[in-house]
Amino acid sequence: MKDKKTLTTEINPEIRDILIEMGAEDIYKCYQCGKCTSACPWFQVEIYDYPVYKFSLETALGAVASSEDKKELDKEIDLIYRCVGCEACLEQCPHGISTPNILRAARRLLVDFDSFPETLKSIVQKTHNVGNPFGEHRENRADWAKGKNVPDYQEGMEFLYFPCCLPAYEARNQKVAQATVGILQKSNVSYGILGVQETCCGEVIRRIGAENIFAEVAKANIKAFSDSGVTKVLVTSPHCYTTFKNEYPDFGADFEVLHTTQYLSHLIETGKLKINKSFNKRVVYHDPCTLGRKNNIYEEPRNILKSIPGLEFLEVEDFNRNLSLCCGAGSGGLWLEWDKEERIVNVRLKQLMDTGAEIIAVACPYCLQMFEETIKSMDTDIQVMDIAEILFECL
Amino acid sequence: MKKIGVFVCHCGRNISATVNIDNVVKKIKKYPGVSFCTDNKYMCSDPGQDLIKKAIKEKKLGSVVIAACSPSLHEVTFRNNSVKAGLNPYLTEIANIREQCSWVHTNIEEATKKAINIIESIIEKIKLNESLSPVKVKVNPKVLVIGAGIAGIQTSLDVANAGHKVILIERSPSIGGRMAQLSETFPTLDCSQCILTPKMVEVSQHKNISLYTFSELEEISGNVGNFKVKIKKKASCVDNTKCTGCGICSEKCPVSVDSEFDEGLGKRKAIYSPFPQAVPNKPVIDKENCTFFLKDGKCGVCKIVCPFEAIDFNQKDEIIEKEVGAVIVATGYELYPMKNIKEYGAGKYPDVINGLQFERLLSASGPTEGEIHRPSDNKIPKRVAFISCVGSRDPEHHLPYCSKICCMYMVKHAFLYKEHVPDGEAIVFSIDTRTSGKDYEEFFTRAKEEGNILYIRGKPARIIKQGNELVIWCINTLTGKQLRVKCDMVVLSMAIVPSSGALQLAKELRIQTNSFGFFSEAHPKLRPVESLVPGFYLAGTAQSPKDIPDTVSQASGAAAKVLTLLSSDEISHSPIIATVNEELCSGCGICVETCPYDAREMDEERQIATVKEILCEGCGACISACPSGASQQRNLTDDQINNMIKVILQ
Repeated sequence: MKDKKTLTTEINPEIRDILIEMGAEDIYKCYQCGKCTSACPWFQVEIYDYPVYKFSLETALGAVASSEDKKELDKEIDLIYRCVGCEACLEQCPHGISTPNILRAARRLLVDFDSFPETLKSIVQKTHNVGNPFGEHRENRADWAKGKNVPDYQEGMEFLYFPCCLPAYEARNQKVAQATVGILQKSNVSYGILGVQETCCGEVIRRIGAENIFAEVAKANIKAFSDSGVTKVLVTSPHCYTTFKNEYPDFGADFEVLHTTQYLSHLIETGKLKINKSFNKRVVYHDPCTLGRKNNIYEEPRNILKSIPGLEFLEVEDFNRNLSLCCGAGSGGLWLEWDKEERIVNVRLKQLMDTGAEIIAVACPYCLQMFEETIKSMDTDIQVMDIAEILFECL
Repeated sequence: MKKIGVFVCHCGRNISATVNIDNVVKKIKKYPGVSFCTDNKYMCSDPGQDLIKKAIKEKKLGSVVIAACSPSLHEVTFRNNSVKAGLNPYLTEIANIREQCSWVHTNIEEATKKAINIIESIIEKIKLNESLSPVKVKVNPKVLVIGAGIAGIQTSLDVANAGHKVILIERSPSIGGRMAQLSETFPTLDCSQCILTPKMVEVSQHKNISLYTFSELEEISGNVGNFKVKIKKKASCVDNTKCTGCGICSEKCPVSVDSEFDEGLGKRKAIYSPFPQAVPNKPVIDKENCTFFLKDGKCGVCKIVCPFEAIDFNQKDEIIEKEVGAVIVATGYELYPMKNIKEYGAGKYPDVINGLQFERLLSASGPTEGEIHRPSDNKIPKRVAFISCVGSRDPEHHLPYCSKICCMYMVKHAFLYKEHVPDGEAIVFSIDTRTSGKDYEEFFTRAKEEGNILYIRGKPARIIKQGNELVIWCINTLTGKQLRVKCDMVVLSMAIVPSSGALQLAKELRIQTNSFGFFSEAHPKLRPVESLVPGFYLAGTAQSPKDIPDTVSQASGAAAKVLTLLSSDEISHSPIIATVNEELCSGCGICVETCPYDAREMDEERQIATVKEILCEGCGACISACPSGASQQRNLTDDQINNMIKVILQ
């Protein structure tokens, strides 16, 4: 009888309790309205059915990440790693259920059993070994700053500038870090970088489910910051921002965090940064999920763009601010390959291009990377720029 | 010294399971001043009460302590019982050893010790208790009703028909409230106005009802039985004694603005009566939109055309002072603002409307004369979607409660839409359909079947406009299928919230609301139509979302409660109130400032503070504020409280 294949599910309290322990504590709040599912970016990828609303109930049944059948488990792994963690579902859930957290609990379980996508395994390993998900050498971490007169951080400086791994190593994104320090230099702000002492903030490996390695990384960073006397950190990536600001305090961190858009908007507002040139382009702003929905930073990026003369500011109607659509790169999405017709980024790019913009302004290295890589294969003249890059051109 | 008797109740096992009654009785028997102590399984039962009476008589007890449940439950029972045995009721006290002891502890030894302690402290209190008699207050037999929707109308008629005078005030120009706006009512589908207007007329013609429309409560003072109220009658700029309601002024008025009665779907003039059957059928001038008031006397067309010289631009707001014995609050509801629901484009797309707007489209007296035309382009919508729980049952972003009436009016809307547009399609998006009234489920089933109404289980996340159509993004949670439903118009079942101004009114009346602004009843089950403050009663949706049958029942219930109050000429008021030791009082007046009930005043001649016994609620605020100890609470004096504390701390 044991081998007989059955479609009946039994409640598995063991798995359920482990998942609750790992962060799925919201499951009993769900009243199965399904609003999450049509709020999810995958809903907009019309050929893919992503049953977000089922996760709470299935977790309560202990039927997530629990199959003993290899094929079934592979299907479950695929589902569990589809979530880009954009929190569009949480934004609309009447009971504030964080499905990303529920799925992260499932991911933690899968990581514990080493049953998760190979590409993600490799970035967890690389982050663990060399402090960045790309496996780049530690000693090259400050290469982006060569010849730019970027000082090393010293105690008493106003800011530590923390560029994120993408702007540190990836050629296109390095320009964002360079533009950012360019602006800081022009506005005579005292800042420095930690360079080779930096380690990835760990956001992505935590979202993937590698909780233990994340904890190691977080503690190492906190120690490096506190050894250097850091009190304020300026970040380019919303992912570093949310991790430092909302998650590191659980590991004992005690420093202030600012996103570049917050600080640059403040510099403009207080007259400390003068914009001398105009930017005669139609610019649409793409709200990064982690900056917007997760941290409620909607107006600062807009204020910067709207203060640039000549810039025609555009919004994606129906899909801006808290109703913005993810680029698809979050929670490991940047490293996962889906069929070409099944990509969130294509839907978002279409929305952005339909506004008639010439420039897509972003405020997140992941969005920049995702859009740049996708646009390459498209027949379009539209360009993607970080807000810091646009601003730097106008000084 | 009075002989004290102590009676310890087991309350079945409620007390005796945790408190060792034998030990309590043994200990208390020996306590100084106690001349008798015994126990019983149920002290509140007839044998229990007889036991107490017998002991009072035989042992010549002068005061009685009952160690039992909370005084809020049986204090009255035991005091009345003592009265039967010839004792003054205020010489009977309760020691609460259930709620404050047995129910909250598990350790028998400790709980027993605590029970003894509680009883001893009450013995110390009762040693200094005085015989008291209730303060008697004359009751003014008139009643004020605030709000003249169906709740206010029904409650006024019930009170007035019982022979009492009613003062009914309504802030809008006509009575009738929300019910006057509705097309047909569930589950019977009778025409709302047809069943409401006879009652409106009855109100206007009733000899016991004084109706003040376009009026608001300005101020209230006093206490149950004797309130003084000031009513502000807003200047309507129309002399109602001359006006015949012919309507020529409205016809000729050049100003056209959105009609509140038609929920913004139709227009009205600056001088207007909200709807044809309005009561009173006299127009008012909306000064905020009237050209005469906006542009310094330029216009005045209404005055020129009025054949009866009824227009009086100089009319001023009037303050009317009245005295009443009770107040019924029936201020009704409004809908949660559509603009809060950004994901549905509510307030942005004209064809996304709310339930009351749809009622106006269905109504023969509405802006489309009962034909369904969508607001954007007047087209007859061939597919209409109805979405439930918009703003309701959403504790994270909006309101946590169920608005109660939406499930039923949605099925009614869908059904009536199909009657108006037989070739149209009605689709309801709902997560649960709650049909718990009489004949409701039957109506739901019939309407769904006869109207071919499609029910989809799921809460949509977005409504997106595409060309001339609205596209609803949803998941059918029963099939798991993703849906993009195109439709011509969407009706949102917006949550019900208390009327604007309800919180301010609650503040003026000094009665409580819950955190959403609904007036709080004295007890959710047993006293649903009274507020916690004596003299104030609640009717209709001011208290919680409810449908017409429930509203009317509650309105009649509130009327019955008021009539009970008015059934005797006087009411008694607890004598446990503040007193003043005239020798100690320095006349500083701090008590006068402290008193929330205006019950303390200065006797300027003798330079001491006095107590207006009728108004004193015995809250004790003045007593703790008094710097000299001159103010004391009867039977709760400083000496008594000190003695009680001493015993407890021993």
